[in-house]
Order: sequence, then C-alpha cells, then structure tokens
Amino acid sequence: MPSTTTTGIETDVAARAIGATKFYGSGDTEVRALDGVTAEFERGHFSAIMGPSGSGKSTLMHCLAGLDTLTDGRVFIGDTDLSTLSERNLTLLRRDKIGFVFQAFNLVPTLTALENITLPMDLAGRDPDQEWLDRVIDAVGLADRTSHRPSELSGGQQQRVAVARALASNPEIIFADEPTGNLDSTTGAEILDFMRDAVDNLGQTIVMVTHDPVAASHADRAVFLVDGKIVDEMMEPTAEMVLDEMKLLSRR
Amino acid sequence: MFKLTLRNLLDKKIRFVLTTSTVVIGVMFVVGVFVLTDSIRTSFDELAGDIEAGVDLTVRSPLDIGDELDRVAVPQDIAEIAETVPGVASVDGRVVARNTVISDGEGEPILPNGPPTLGFSWFPTQFFIIDGHQPEKPDQFATDATTASDNDLVVGDVYTVSGPTDQREFTLSGIFNFGDPEENKSIAGTTMAAFELTAAQDFLDKPDSFNELSVVVQAGADPAVVQEALDAAVGDDFEVVSQQIKIEETQSDFNAFISIFGNVLLAFALIAVFVSAFIINNTFQIILGQRVRELGLLRALGATGRQVSRSVLGEAAMVGVFSTVVGIFLGLGLARVLRSLLKAGGFSLPDGPIELQARTIIFAVAVGMGVTVLSSIAPARRARGISPMAALSDSVRLTKSGLGRRIKVGATMVALGWLLLGLGLFAGLGTQQLLLSVSSGGILIFIGTTVLSPAFATQISRILGWPIQRLFGVPGRLARENAARSPRRTSSTAGALMIGLALVSMAGVVGQSIKKTFVDTLDNSVQADYFVRSTAAGFDPTTGFPAEVEQLVNEVDDVDLVVGYHFGLNSISINGSTKNVFTTDFSAGTDHMDPDVVAGSITNGDPLGSILLNEDPAEDLFVGVGDTVVVQFPDGAVVGLEVAAIYADSAIFDNYVIDNALWNEHFNRPELLFLTASISGFSDDLPEEQQVALLASSAEAIRNVTDEFPTVSVENRVEFRQSQQAQLDSFLITITVFLTLALFIALIGIANTLALSVFERTREIGLLRAVGLTRRQLRRSVRWEAAIVSVFGAILGVGLGLAFGVAAAIAIPDTAVNTVAVPWGSLAIYVVVAAVAGLIAAIIPARRAARMNVLEAIATE
Repeated sequence: MPSTTTTGIETDVAARAIGATKFYGSGDTEVRALDGVTAEFERGHFSAIMGPSGSGKSTLMHCLAGLDTLTDGRVFIGDTDLSTLSERNLTLLRRDKIGFVFQAFNLVPTLTALENITLPMDLAGRDPDQEWLDRVIDAVGLADRTSHRPSELSGGQQQRVAVARALASNPEIIFADEPTGNLDSTTGAEILDFMRDAVDNLGQTIVMVTHDPVAASHADRAVFLVDGKIVDEMMEPTAEMVLDEMKLLSRR
Repeated sequence: MFKLTLRNLLDKKIRFVLTTSTVVIGVMFVVGVFVLTDSIRTSFDELAGDIEAGVDLTVRSPLDIGDELDRVAVPQDIAEIAETVPGVASVDGRVVARNTVISDGEGEPILPNGPPTLGFSWFPTQFFIIDGHQPEKPDQFATDATTASDNDLVVGDVYTVSGPTDQREFTLSGIFNFGDPEENKSIAGTTMAAFELTAAQDFLDKPDSFNELSVVVQAGADPAVVQEALDAAVGDDFEVVSQQIKIEETQSDFNAFISIFGNVLLAFALIAVFVSAFIINNTFQIILGQRVRELGLLRALGATGRQVSRSVLGEAAMVGVFSTVVGIFLGLGLARVLRSLLKAGGFSLPDGPIELQARTIIFAVAVGMGVTVLSSIAPARRARGISPMAALSDSVRLTKSGLGRRIKVGATMVALGWLLLGLGLFAGLGTQQLLLSVSSGGILIFIGTTVLSPAFATQISRILGWPIQRLFGVPGRLARENAARSPRRTSSTAGALMIGLALVSMAGVVGQSIKKTFVDTLDNSVQADYFVRSTAAGFDPTTGFPAEVEQLVNEVDDVDLVVGYHFGLNSISINGSTKNVFTTDFSAGTDHMDPDVVAGSITNGDPLGSILLNEDPAEDLFVGVGDTVVVQFPDGAVVGLEVAAIYADSAIFDNYVIDNALWNEHFNRPELLFLTASISGFSDDLPEEQQVALLASSAEAIRNVTDEFPTVSVENRVEFRQSQQAQLDSFLITITVFLTLALFIALIGIANTLALSVFERTREIGLLRAVGLTRRQLRRSVRWEAAIVSVFGAILGVGLGLAFGVAAAIAIPDTAVNTVAVPWGSLAIYVVVAAVAGLIAAIIPARRAARMNVLEAIATE
C-alpha cells in the first residue's frame, strides 16, 4: 500500500483539488494551464470537466490522476495527498485506486481482451474478484470476445474493453479522457450509457473530460474551465444547456 | 523532397545515431585493417632498404626450395677469389643462424612467441652500437636494444646463449640498434645476438664458411659490371645478386608475413561488415514501418511512389556517406590501437606514420555506401507501394510478402547454399575456388535462414518465453508477446547474432574434433617415456635446441634409447611440388613413435637411401614399398629414395619421413625440434610401485642433464600430452576471441532494434505505465524480450554452426581430423552467454523506456 497522508476527515469525496496551479515554461513563454483550481468530485457521481481546447481541462485531469505534477496547490485521491508520493508510489496508486479510459490507443495489442481487462491487477500480482469481473464483462457485453486481440475488435468494442479494464479493479475513481472522441455518435452513446450504468448500478465514480455537450449530458454534474480557472458549474446538465453555456464562454 | 529527407534525418537524431553506428563499425574495421597493414608494410619496406644499404653485391649459393638459411655455405676460398675481382673494394663474409637463444640474468631463456631468435656475425652496416662496444673476443656478444631493455640485460654481465649445436657463456660487450643508428628496428619481437666473425663461425656451426658474402664495389666502379665479373669468378655453384634484388627479397619476405596477418584480420572485418548489413537492413525496415503514415501523407499530397522510394534511398545514402566518413576517421584510430595492442603482445613493430591509401578510401566507400544502399533497396521498394490511404487510416501496416513465398525463397537459398558449401568442401577444388564456394555458400545459408526463420519465429519465441512468463508474470508475458509479435523483426535481429554464434560454434566443433583426433593419436602412437623439447611456448616447427643435448641424454645411465627429430617446413620437393619433411632414426623402428605402419618396415630402411610415406601421398604418387621416389633437397641434390614403409597415422610424422643421417647430409640445421627417450627395464607390465620408482629416478637423472639448458624442457608421457593439448586449447581460444567480435556487433544490433521498438511503442508503453506498470516491471519486460530474441538467434546460430562444423570436420583430411567431436558443453554455454548478452544489450533501451514521461508517451502520435 502506498503511504498516505490523512486529512483526518472521512469524506465522501473521491478526488479533490485545492488551489491547483500548473505552469508550463517560464518567463515570456510561461503558460498557466491551471490557475488555482479548487474542486471536489464526489463518490458515486459521474462528473464532466468541460471547456474549450486550451482551457486546462486535460491538465486538471492528468494532475488529479497522478499522471502529472502541480506547480502549486494539492490534489487528493480519497485521503491521499498525491504531492507527498514518490514516483513509484504514484504508479502503485494508479494501479490500485484509479481506472483510466483514454481517447484512443487504449489497449495493449499483444494481449487479449480479457488480459487487457485484468492487466492492472496482473501487474499488481492480485487475483481479480471473479464475481465482480464477471459482472463487469457481462455489463459491457463482451463475454464472448474475451479471447480476441484488440486488432480483432471494432473501435467501439475496444473502448468497451477499456472501460471494463478501468472498472475491473473496482477503483476509487475512474478518469476518462475524451472517451468518445474517436467513435461515431451511436457507438459513443453506447459507451456513455454504459458509463452511466456503471455509476448507477455498480456504484462507481467517474470523472470525464470532454468538449462534447452530448457526452456531458450523461453526467450528473458539469464543471466548466476557461483559461485554467473554474468559471461555472451545472447540475444535471442537458446537451442544450451545455451547448448554450459553451457558446457563452467562448464569447467571453 | 531532398530537403524533407534531410530534415527527417536531423529531426530524429537518436534514430540516426543508432542507424549509423553499425555501418560506422563495419567501415571502421575495414579501414583499420587496411591502414594497419599498409603502415606496417611501408615501415618494413623502408627498413628493408636500410638493412641492405651499404652492401652493393651479395655472393651466395642458389636456392630453389626451403628456407633462406638452408642455402649451402660459401667457403672461405670463394671469399678469397671474390677479393681479387677488379672493382671489388671489400668482401665480408656473414654468418646467420636461427635458434640462438639468450638467457636473461635469472637464467630464463628469452623466447618470443613466434618471432625468430637469430644469431649473427657482427656486421657494421646493420648494427649501430649505442652502449658498450662491438664483440671483439670469442667470448663476447652484443644484442639489440629492445631485447636488452625488455630483459634487463646489462653490458659487462655474463649470459648463457644456446646455439644450434651447444650452449656457451658470453659476456655482453655492447647493445646496438638494428637497421637505423637512431632507433632499433628489429622486427616483431625478434631477438638478436651478434658475435665476432670467427666466434660466430664456430658457435653458429659454419666452420670456415659463410651464409653469404657482402661485397662493396670501389668508388666509381659500376656495380653491374663488377657483378658480371664476380659472377664469372665464383663459378656456377654460386650466384651474385644486386642490392636491389636483396631489398626486394627482404620486402617480399615481410610482405608474405604481413599478407597472412592482414588477410586474417580482413576476414574478420568482412564478417563484421556482413553482420552490420543485417542490422542495417533491419533498421531501415523498422524505420520505414514507423514512417508509413508520414509517407502516406506525402503520397496523399501528391508525391509519386518513385519520389517516396527515392527519399528512402536518399536517407540511406546520407547515412552511408556520414558513416563512411566517421568510419574512416575511427578506422585510423583503430589502426593505432591495434598497433599498440600488437606491440603490447610482444610484436615490436616499427613506429612508422599511419598510412591512408586511396585504395583504403575506395574500399571504405564501397563498404559504407554499398551496405547501406543495398540494405535499403528492399525497404525503398516497399515504400513505393505505400498507398495515400495510409495517412488516413487508423491502423497502418505495410503489406508484407506472403509467408508461402518467403518459405519458398528462403528454402531455395538454404538449399543452394548447402550445395555450394558441399561442392567447396568435397569436390576437391583449388584453394581460391574452395574459399569462394564455401563463403558464398555460407552467406546464402545465413541469408536464407533469416528469410525463412520468420515462419517459425513466433512459435519459438512463445516457447522460449513460456518460462519467463511463468517466472515474471505480466512483464514476462509482455516480453514474450513482444518478441513474438513481429516475427520478421525478431528474425532479422536474431540473424546478426546467429552469424556470430554459427562461426564460433563451427570453430568449436572443428577444434574439438582436431583435439580429439590429436589426443587419440598421442594415445595410440606415442611409446617413448620422455620428451625433450624447446621451452618456447606455442608450436613453432622452426624452433630448436642444441644438438648436443641428444648425446648428453644418451649418456644418462637409465636411458636405453634416444631418438632426435627435425622438421623442415616446405623444405623438400617431390614431383615439382614442395613438401614438409620430418626425420627420425630408422633404427629405432616403432619403439618410440608408432605411426601405424601398414606396409613394409621402418627398421628395414636404409638411412641414406630410404623414405617413409603416409598412405595418402603414397596413393597420390602411385608408389608402394620398394618403389623409388625422387626427392630434391634445398642444397640442390636430387636423390632417388626407396620407400621402406607406408604408415597410416600422420598426426605426428606428417606425410614424408627421412632418417636423421640424410637430413644432416642435406640440411645445415643441426638443432633438434624435440627428442624422445626410453628407460631401460621399464615396461607397463612391471608392478606399479616399481614403475613409479623407476620413473622417479630416471626423471631426476635426465633433468640433471637438461636443467643445464634453459631452452630445453623435459616431460613424461602424461605431461607431454597435457602440454600439447594446452597448445591446441590456446589456439582455439584465440580464434573464439576474434569471432566474439561478430557477437559484439550483433549485440549493438539488438540494442539498436530494441531502442527503435521501444520508440515505436511509445504510446503503448505510456498506456501500460498509466495503468500501473512500474518502471522496474517495464525495464524487466524489455530486458527479457531481448533475452528471448537472443536465445532464438543463438539456437539458430549454434544449430547452423554445428552443421557447418560437422561438414568441415568430415571434409578436413584425416591427417588433422579423423573423428567428429562436438563440444556440447561449450555450445550450451554459448546459448546462455547469448541470453545474458541480450539482457546486457537491453539495459540502455530499457532505461530509455522507463524514463519516458507517461503523459507525453500517451500523447504521442
């Protein structure tokens, strides 16, 4: 287990950023990707981080997930302060507590679908919870394709395997980076439905970065980022509301 | 288009370095070898001029066959006649002999490994005193500066010197530089001992005679005119040669030595180039795979297939140019390093300038450019076929030639290769055709196997990876699947290693077979109880020790029989072709050495009129016992010898044996190669205790005699066998070390391919790291992937090497190899070494992979 820093408060917050600040470069070429972002993502919720390109939404996610480090401020996964962790412990944390779904190139081509799904647990040398695994595989509807290699699966199927992998270790939180970006709208909707289902029925926590209002409409809550700052927040968003908000933001 | 090609190269610096490194190494070796041999040759050529300077004409006896020192001596009266010839200013007789060994202050003989130990009469035009004075009394000698300084010889001290017939004590009167007053130019570790003329004639066994006469003509006289007059005066038994001829002879002697040495090095360099070609081809294929999308974009933007393929070729050409230039410079450095290594190894080479000839540059360009451009032809052709769609589609793959065709082409090449190899080994071709046939056969087999091996690379990799997966879990699984995922790449990476290991394994099989044959022969044929031989390390048939040792050993009480042996390399001529000759005492029969006589009898032989033949030459000459063979000796004598016996075992006796009496009549070399002794009353039937006691007392008695001679050592049968085997072993080790060079290049190839593969899988690695693969696990998976590929190559290589070795062992004449022995232990070690080497080669690529930034890796296009 990674060493943890306990805040002393048992919360129902899965991930939290406090004054998260990230600069790239220095001097004249300095770019503020994140500018003092404070946000919480509750357990059992499906949250969307929205914003135009360059708004810092991906950076926020990367920092929350321990893939990138902050210039200033702190991020927590559960009660663990990521800034206190070594590279190795960050890796172990990702492996044990975080699930990922990327936009593309989500699977290891040399492994079968099932091996891809159980990869984080195999890496940790842990046996998967077979009952949970069966439920996950069943839920993504891939029971008959588990022995296929990624090249033998369609794009949608590949992404479903990726979601199943994120779910398989029953992580504290799942981060999804434009999970539907590379898919057509029908397949994309399928994946989003499935993610919604994972939150509602499997009790998962998902944070999704997207710029697609339709994708965001599947979430419980949408957070809007512009120029590295949170500018707005919306509960139970619909595609129209999000679209309007986005238009508004881009005019600022 | 050209600008793009150039940009491409500059953008991917690491890729560029990886690609060029192997070509650079190939070019470097070729240039290094040429420069080294050219430089040595030039220095030697200059030296030859220095040595012969000051002597206008030389009088000597003619020589058709045999060694320079086999010339019949020139008697005193010829020197007197020469002095009377008009135009002659001075005539100086000279004496030279081999096997004149100085012992240092500790009594240890100074025996260079290979180079000769020469004795001379003092000769002022070649020896330049730098300390003390020239030898003037019969008990004085002088030596060259290198020998003196290497062995701490001090002027005024007394040293033992061993000569052709006996050994004596001499006082070191002076130290000289050879060839040049400023700098000692004695060649390649040669030791020199110079004596006052009459002392030399006595000690070096040239009573009242000379090896040759050095003539200086009077100032103003035409050497050519004097030569003619001199020629007429000395008669038909002697010849007169000019300074120019002497210089050319000396040069060609040096050249023969340098050529052998250079050709061996060149062979290794070419092996290195061949292995490099494999790696370069592989690298271009991989790079092309990585650039498919980019090239597809070019096609989509309107580039023709021809333009695309030309850009690939252009990139190769630039890699070639760059590598050639860098390789030439590094080769110059390598030549210097090799020269210092040779010097450190005991070859004192002259310190000339490093010489870069036009021929070397042309060859370097041919190798550097040729290898890269040829290696890129196939990738360039495939690049032409890339469709513009490649830029747009998500998963791009190059079309690959079908497995069926691959198997057909590969199998044909392998079959043709074996055919050529078999032809070379068994059809009895001349040396040149044999080498050509065998080497082209080998090359075809190597390429064919590499073409063929992707057909089973995946399956074999999976099998080899199975235990690794069991041991290391996911990293092991990733290693296994990565090795199996692209059989072509695995095959060509393994191919480079395969070549190196095939050569090493082949040498192992042939060496083991030679050794087995030799040991069996020793067991069967050697009957003597003691062996007395020169202490010189390594087998050199020109070494020898004073002939008086034979007499002294014979005087030992326990000894009942002593037999001496001489060997003359290329010293007799039969039917116009030059042969080696070995000698023994016919009267001893098979008491000490039993060569397995199949017809006739050795003891029946007439010492002055008989010869013994091995059955192979007997068959070739169509002669049997009682028939006559006409033999020409170096002194010009042509003698008909009756065949007394024919024997089957040539491992010790070689092919032609004469009696010592006949040797002494025609050769001016009394020193012995070795001698054997047997103990009176000793027999294997005696009780063991008695045997041991008898051997102990007789050994002491014999050692009492030989201990007086620093250059001589005594061994009993067991020790003799061990020391002979040890010599073979050290020879085999030398060859293996040289071939390891090819392995080294193959390792660079593995590191290279792996680095490119890691680069290619950047995103995949990023993903794995994101979902929790630790750096350590990642490094482990890269390392084990390398190990799997290496072992795959090692198995192919050892398998091929085994087949080559067995074929060669069968083809080699029974004289050297009459049985096939396989060193299974060594072969197994080679495979293990390959695996370890693979792990080592992977260290850097694994580190690079582990250092990748996860985020950047995921974002990589």
